[in-house]
Formats: sequence, structure tokens, C-alpha cells
Amino acid sequence: MSIGRKLRSNMAFNIIGGIVLVITLFAFVVGAIGFVSFTNSFKKEYSTTTYHMADTATSLVNGDHLFDYLTGLEMEEYQRTKRYLENYCKRMAVSIVYVIMVEQNGFDYFFSIFNCVNNEVDNTSYVPWELGHRRQTTNEDYRQEYIKLYNKQAPYGTIYRINTKDGNNWHITTLVPIMDSNDDVAGLLCIQRPINEIYKARIPYLITIVISTIVLVFLASAFAVFFMKKQLIGPIRKVSFEATRFARENKKGEELGDISSFEELANLAKSIDTMETDMVSYMENLTVITAEKERIGTELALASDIQTGSIPNTFPAFPDRTDFDIFASMDPAKEVGGDFYNFFLVDNDHLAMVIGDVSGKGVPAALFMMVSNILASVRTQTGGNPAQILEFVNDKICESNKLDMFVTIWLGILQLSTGKLVASNAGHEYPAIMHAGGGFELYKDKHGFVVGGMEGVRYTDYEIQLSPGDKIFVYTDGVPEATDADNNMFGVDRMLSALNFEPDANPEKMLGNVRSAVDAFVKDAQQFDDLTMLCMEYKG
Amino acid sequence: MLSINKNIDNGKAVFCLEGRLDTITAPELEKSLQESIEGVKSLTFDFGNLEYISSAGLRVILAAQKLMTGKGEMKVCNLNETVKEIFEVTGFSDILTIE
Repeated sequence: MSIGRKLRSNMAFNIIGGIVLVITLFAFVVGAIGFVSFTNSFKKEYSTTTYHMADTATSLVNGDHLFDYLTGLEMEEYQRTKRYLENYCKRMAVSIVYVIMVEQNGFDYFFSIFNCVNNEVDNTSYVPWELGHRRQTTNEDYRQEYIKLYNKQAPYGTIYRINTKDGNNWHITTLVPIMDSNDDVAGLLCIQRPINEIYKARIPYLITIVISTIVLVFLASAFAVFFMKKQLIGPIRKVSFEATRFARENKKGEELGDISSFEELANLAKSIDTMETDMVSYMENLTVITAEKERIGTELALASDIQTGSIPNTFPAFPDRTDFDIFASMDPAKEVGGDFYNFFLVDNDHLAMVIGDVSGKGVPAALFMMVSNILASVRTQTGGNPAQILEFVNDKICESNKLDMFVTIWLGILQLSTGKLVASNAGHEYPAIMHAGGGFELYKDKHGFVVGGMEGVRYTDYEIQLSPGDKIFVYTDGVPEATDADNNMFGVDRMLSALNFEPDANPEKMLGNVRSAVDAFVKDAQQFDDLTMLCMEYKG
Repeated sequence: MLSINKNIDNGKAVFCLEGRLDTITAPELEKSLQESIEGVKSLTFDFGNLEYISSAGLRVILAAQKLMTGKGEMKVCNLNETVKEIFEVTGFSDILTIE
């Protein structure tokens, strides 16, 4: 930025410069007005004085004989009067005293009667006109004055000759009528005086004005610099610097405090102070909250690992078994979820499969899920029918279920040597079964109440005979209830179609097909519920 | 996405639910129930306009059932097919009075 542009955008420079400029202009205008009115009153005073001088001179002239002088009569009186006027001219220090008779038809010419010159007064070189010298009226100004005076419309006339081009100094000519005994205008007596004094007198006046203007401007600037700077510009700069500093450093600075007597500025400073305090405490809070959030995030990630580790997740799970194939997946909507699956060999001939769905989501559901899964699997290891196992788990959970949470569980135990599946359903989704050569169909099993809902609930077992090539698919409601952006649900029918898309595929491929169909259906909509599936193929 | 219209008169409370009772809306119903269940002898849920109920919603219904046990009666009515199926699958239809 150039220095010029910098100055133009600098507030102190603008305000102080503006004040100086306005005061200078003001002083200039006031000075000019004073100067003009001073000149006018001086001119008026000067012309009045000159009039009185001329009026006095008329008493020396006999108005009744003016015409006689022209015709050569009364020459003794003429000579006497001429001497009087010459004396007068010398003593009164006027350049010229002259008496003329104007031709009244047009006032374009006049005759000179008396003409006394004192060239010493104004260093002039006038040559006196002879008696009877006929001259053309000098200019229109004079003609107008002649008409006025001959018609008695004014007691006297004044003509200022300023900036004359004839090389003469500035002068004033005052014209007064000479009356005859009939009170008519017989001629005009004119006095010409130099006017230089007026202009000489104006110089000290001008100097006074210039000096007082300079003093005024200086005082105003001093006021602007000291008062404005202290009360206005200084505080604004402080606020501006503080705001810039705070924006850059984000740290609380020294309080601005009470920086100006202007209420608005004082309030602005107070607001900046308050804002800084609030912002700093807000940022501190935010830092604490962010740290807390990170901590929770880390813990949730650990919890997620623990949860995933608590269920079998290495596939193939039983690489040495040729009599069955099993695959399962769990995708929580959040870091941790309330769904679970589990499978394990109770003994060499019995495969237990569990799938469960806890009411709710997130951490509470995950804790509940861990308890349910451990209770169910530990109890299953000790032997018994699925219904007995579920009743045990239900009673255990009900003992300490403060939040009225519950879990739906499907539990099946398959005898691998015979293909006999014994299962029990505690409020869980219907399993889908595929018999070799056919398609998947929902198996509408007998449902018991959810686990954890009520103490002492009884469950019933049912049996399904599986043949080699048969498959069973169990899932949580996250699959049929997966929702797209328009709130449409995926539904059981679409799920069965996806399963039957490749009925001969292995369990892993089956789950992949269902997952792809769900993803294609919900598209960009957020996964809302945990999504868990388990598929087992009995090979015999 | 859930509107609760409750009508309590002389110990008889009727909750008419409209919309979806899921993880997001279930806490609203829970709060509404806690506020007004005091002194209620008969609690009815009208599910005429309820489109869907999730496990979180079932939890609130179960909690209400437990609260009413010994204090009075509770029933649910006007279930649509979706909701009825959910009640059946979860076994809730066995422990609730459904009309």
C-alpha cells in the first residue's frame, strides 16, 4: 500500500485533516466577507468625506455666472474664483478640482469652466483644460451621474476608478451640483482624490485576518489532535488493535476498561472485553469437551473390539468339519450394538447357534448383550434343551433388570449325526429354512415372550429335521427393517428373494447376497439399526 | 415422527399414538407416561394410527405393563397388521391384553 493510500484510509489523518480543512475554509470565507465589508465601509466613509470637501468648494463658485465665464464676461470674478480653487486644490490635497457645464441634450459633451490640477498629490501628469474646452463625456458611468445630478435625484455622485487602463493610480471622483439663484443646476463641481490609502489600510487588516486564521487553524488542530485523539481516535485504534490481536492470538489480553468518555465507545470496549472473556472460556470448555469426546471415542473403539472379540469371528470357523458350514456377520449401527450371534460345538455331535437382539442401541444395549450372550452360551455348555436354557437366562436377567430392557433370542442345537435341530424362540424373528433343492421360506415357529421381560416365563422347544444340503438363516430385525430415504422397509419378501437369488451358494456368499440387496435398497440412507445374520448349511 | 394424544379422566387414561414408536420417539412416550400414570387405574393404548413399533417402543410398553400390574388394568387396542405381527413375534401378545 502506498503512503498516500495508507493516509487516506487512516482515520486519525482523515478526521484531523478534515477539521483543519473545514476550519481553514471557514476562516477564509469569514476573512473574505470581513475584507469586502471593510472595503465597502471604508469606501463609503471616503466618499462622504470627499462629498463634504466638494460641497465646501461649491461655495467658492458663483453659480449664476458660469455661462458668463464661457462667453468671456465677468473675467475678473473668474480669475479670482480660479485662484481660490487652485489654493483649495493645494491645501486640501486633491489631484483635480474642476467645474463643468454638461450639454443637457444627451449629456454626451461638456464644457470645462475651471480646471485646477495638483500633480504632486498623486504623482500625476494632468494638463489643466482651458476655459471653454469641449470634451466628450468620459464614459457611461459619468453620463449616468450627470443625468442624476442635473435632475436633482441625488445630492452628489461618486465614481471609483479602480484598475484603470489609462495608467493612472486608483482614484475617486466626487461630483456635486452647483446651483444658481433660481435653485437650478448650473454646473458640476468635481473633485478627484487618490484612493490608494484605502488599499494601503486594507493590508494590516488582511495580515490580521491571515494571522488569526493561522492561529485558529493551529488551535483547532491542537484540539483535534489532543481531544479527538484522546477520546475518539485513540480508543477506536485501541479497540481495533485489540480485536485484531484477539482474532490472531485467541488469548485474553489486557482489559480495555473505561477508554473513552463517549458512551458508545465505552460500551464497545466493554463488549469487546466481555466477548473475549466469553470466547476464551468457551474455547476452554470446547477443549475440555473435545478431549472428553476423544476419550469416549477411544473407549468406545476398545469396547467395540471387546464386543467383536466376544463372538466367533474367524472364518472358516471349523475348517476340519465337513458335516456343516457356518457363517455369520454383525454390523452395529453405532460403535457398539445390542445384536449378537454365537455358535459353538457343545460336544462333538452338537452345534449350538444363538442369535439375539437387545431392545435399544448403543452402550446400554451392548452391556445387556454381553450379559445375555455369556449367560446363554455358558448355560448351553452345561447341557439341556433350548427352552430350559432360555428360561434360565430369562430368570437370571430378570433378577437385576433395572431398566426394563429385554432381548429376543433364537437358540437352536443341531445334532450333527442325525440332522435333528431342536430350537426355541424367545420373541425373535422367524428363522428362514431352505430344504435342499427348494427355496428359503420363513419357518413360523412357536414364539415365547422376550427374555428379560418377565420372570418365570416358560418357553417351548420345537424340532426340525434337516437333510444334507438344507440351510437355515437367522437374522435380527435390522435386516427386514432396514429403511431407505423414503422410510420404506426392506421387508421379509426382499430378504427371501435375496436368499433365493443363489440357493446353492455357501453361507458366506448367502450373507453377502443379502447384504448387497440391503445396501442397494437403502442406498445413501443412514444405517439405523444393528444388522446381524447367521447362516448354516447342514452337509450331513 | 410420533404424536401422543392423551386423555385422562377419573383414573382412566387413554393414549392415542400416531406415527412411529422407535428409538428416537420412545423416550417421549416414556416421559409422557411417567408424568401422568400417577393414580391411573385403567390404561389404554390406542394404536389405531401407529405405523410401526421397534424394540425400544416395546420396552416402554413392557415398563408400563409392569407399572400397572397390581394397580389396575392395561390394554392395547386397534393394532394394525405390522404392529400386530411384531407383538406376536416378540411374544408380547401373550402377556398383554389386546383388543
